[in-house]
Amino acid sequence: MASVPNLAASFDPATSPDLVKRAELSEIDASTKVPALFFLGSAVLWLLVGTAFALISSFKLHTPNYFGDIEWLTFGRTRTAHLNAVIYGWSVNAAFAVAFWLMARLSRSVLRHSGLLMIAGAFWNIGVTIGIIGILTGDSTSIEWLEMPPYATPLLFVAYALIGAWALITFRFGKSGHIYVSQWYLLAALFWFPWLYSIAQIMLILEPARGTVQALVNWWFAHNVLGLWFTPIGLAAVYYFLPKVLGKPIHSYYLSILGFWSLALFYNWAGVHHLIGGPVPAWVLSAGIAASFMMAIPVIVTGINHHMTMVGSFSALKYSPTLRFIVFGAVSYTITSLIGSLMADRQVNEVVHFTHFTVAHAHQGMYAFFTMVMFGSIYYILPRILLKEWPSAMLISVHFWTVAVGITVYVVGLSIGGIKQGLEMNNADIPFLSTTAASVVTNTIPYLLSRSLSGVLMTIGHMAFAVNISWMLLRPRAPQATTPTLFQNPPEMEVAR
Amino acid sequence: MSAVDPQDKNPKIEQAGASDESIQQVHSILLREKPEPEENHSPMPLFLLGFISAMVLMVAIYFVHNSGGLSQSFSFKQAAMVYDERFDPKNAPSAGAEVKIDPLALGKKNYASVCAACHQPNGLGVPGVYPPLAKSEWVTGSEERIIRILLHGLQGPIKVEGKEYNSAMPAIGPGGYNFSDERIAAVLTYIRQEWGNSAPAVTKEKVTEIRTKAAAGRTTAWTSAELDAIP
Repeated sequence: MASVPNLAASFDPATSPDLVKRAELSEIDASTKVPALFFLGSAVLWLLVGTAFALISSFKLHTPNYFGDIEWLTFGRTRTAHLNAVIYGWSVNAAFAVAFWLMARLSRSVLRHSGLLMIAGAFWNIGVTIGIIGILTGDSTSIEWLEMPPYATPLLFVAYALIGAWALITFRFGKSGHIYVSQWYLLAALFWFPWLYSIAQIMLILEPARGTVQALVNWWFAHNVLGLWFTPIGLAAVYYFLPKVLGKPIHSYYLSILGFWSLALFYNWAGVHHLIGGPVPAWVLSAGIAASFMMAIPVIVTGINHHMTMVGSFSALKYSPTLRFIVFGAVSYTITSLIGSLMADRQVNEVVHFTHFTVAHAHQGMYAFFTMVMFGSIYYILPRILLKEWPSAMLISVHFWTVAVGITVYVVGLSIGGIKQGLEMNNADIPFLSTTAASVVTNTIPYLLSRSLSGVLMTIGHMAFAVNISWMLLRPRAPQATTPTLFQNPPEMEVAR
Repeated sequence: MSAVDPQDKNPKIEQAGASDESIQQVHSILLREKPEPEENHSPMPLFLLGFISAMVLMVAIYFVHNSGGLSQSFSFKQAAMVYDERFDPKNAPSAGAEVKIDPLALGKKNYASVCAACHQPNGLGVPGVYPPLAKSEWVTGSEERIIRILLHGLQGPIKVEGKEYNSAMPAIGPGGYNFSDERIAAVLTYIRQEWGNSAPAVTKEKVTEIRTKAAAGRTTAWTSAELDAIP
């Protein structure tokens, strides 16, 4: 019988000889299995729920009578339900799963007391369910990004406290001497989120601040959830999976540091740019705009770091599903962030504020960047915790192309439509709404239709994803060594998925 | 390897050392993956230094030009009232800065909001109920007395222009309407110079002095008899 290293080498010549480390990883993966599956499963269910509400909301914008008579499914409720389902249901659940899988691996620490995580997961998902039912029945707080009624949010907070505490414990018991860049982002995000969420709950719901301060707190929270929670988790995943799949080190430790600290320094200021034109002291807005411009630094630095890591390995995109989703997400991060900096400029904002351009931008951030990175991460993580391969490369391919084309059509269509809409709104000669002549509202309809089309495409992708996952969960584990499910087989087995 | 193999369900660290081929097969997914990520230490490209410096410079200039007047001489509190980012206190000295208020205008405004309800806009009062202010010897006489009346109120019978009145006037100062000393002085100046009255203006400082020194600690309304004792 062959010795262990030789056997390992026979699977993949590039495999490192330190099998002990790998055995450790296998133990860590196994310890994350139950909670990770729970969070990922919930995430995918919420993704489907959120997608359904998204489609209904999108159709309503060009065909207002669609479900027009059902109180629960009026636009104000379905759009809000969509946002909360995809943010707190899909994105946060997926972020939790990916965050603690990465944290456990990078800290080289098995997951202790995973029962606590399951309780947290149950609390979180019950909280989101109650919250969304509350929104649909008309109990929305009408504060953007915090629409869930106050009777749902304490559950979320308890859940989060357990998860945050648990992640710190895992980090504390970690064996890794060097703290990898992904861990900085994860730890920071796990600190930032409860800070944002609790301050916003206190200052907006429990003891509401008065007047302008309320709007300032609201947008400080809503924008920071993107930049100080989802962005760091997404970047942590990119920083892990790019070098992992390619088998290359990250280009530069120094760029990682600069990118991380400049994000931490500037992002917190930026949310105020949502209030440009509002009755907010001019210097507060200018400070927010200045910080939004400065966000170009972390974005470009991180972009260079990722790009230089990829250089020379772009052919791997032909084979690896994980890499393809992750690279799509990373490129979108750069583009959407730079557009975001531009949107903060007063002259640009004058046109694009209150138009569909903003909607396109939000989806480019949350979908083209974050959601795509989460998809890529799940394609890597699930085979490792289930010890099974993905059943169908075709379904992965369908998933990738429908959502990639879908979100591109979405962002391009609504961006063009949004700029046009903004210019028309600033032109007093064009009526806002008219059923007889061309008006601002009726002129947006072709772009709204393109959004519905892209929504249908993305829905198909999500169904393919859900089918593939269910199939994977149900099929028995293969008795013999398996090969990865790739888009096509590479010339040599050099791409580990 | 069967599905009920306990090692399969719970892979332990020792298994890595085992040379059992079936275990290796189950772990083929793990074995084929690349090593855990590491970082190179490539130096930062030089152009980044230039880019970051340029950004800092440009954004600093942007902020200074759009700060809504925020500067050493213009505090955060003052700038909080400025909604136009192009505002510059040097070119618009009156806005936001300390403004010289006309006591007569301030007094008229405050008289209309509080005093006129009883003493009437024309200062003639209501015969038999509320005494007049126009030509009243109390109004145009000693400022010591009239300041006290406004600060703490007045109760009991009082003789004005030869007629008896018996009503209560609430305190306009602390504990009543809580007018500031400046507003009390402005109202007094107004009633002493309106409707044909022509007594000297009352200063804010005089009101402050009486409130904090001569009548310090008083909480009850004055009576006509008490006021007569004051010069």
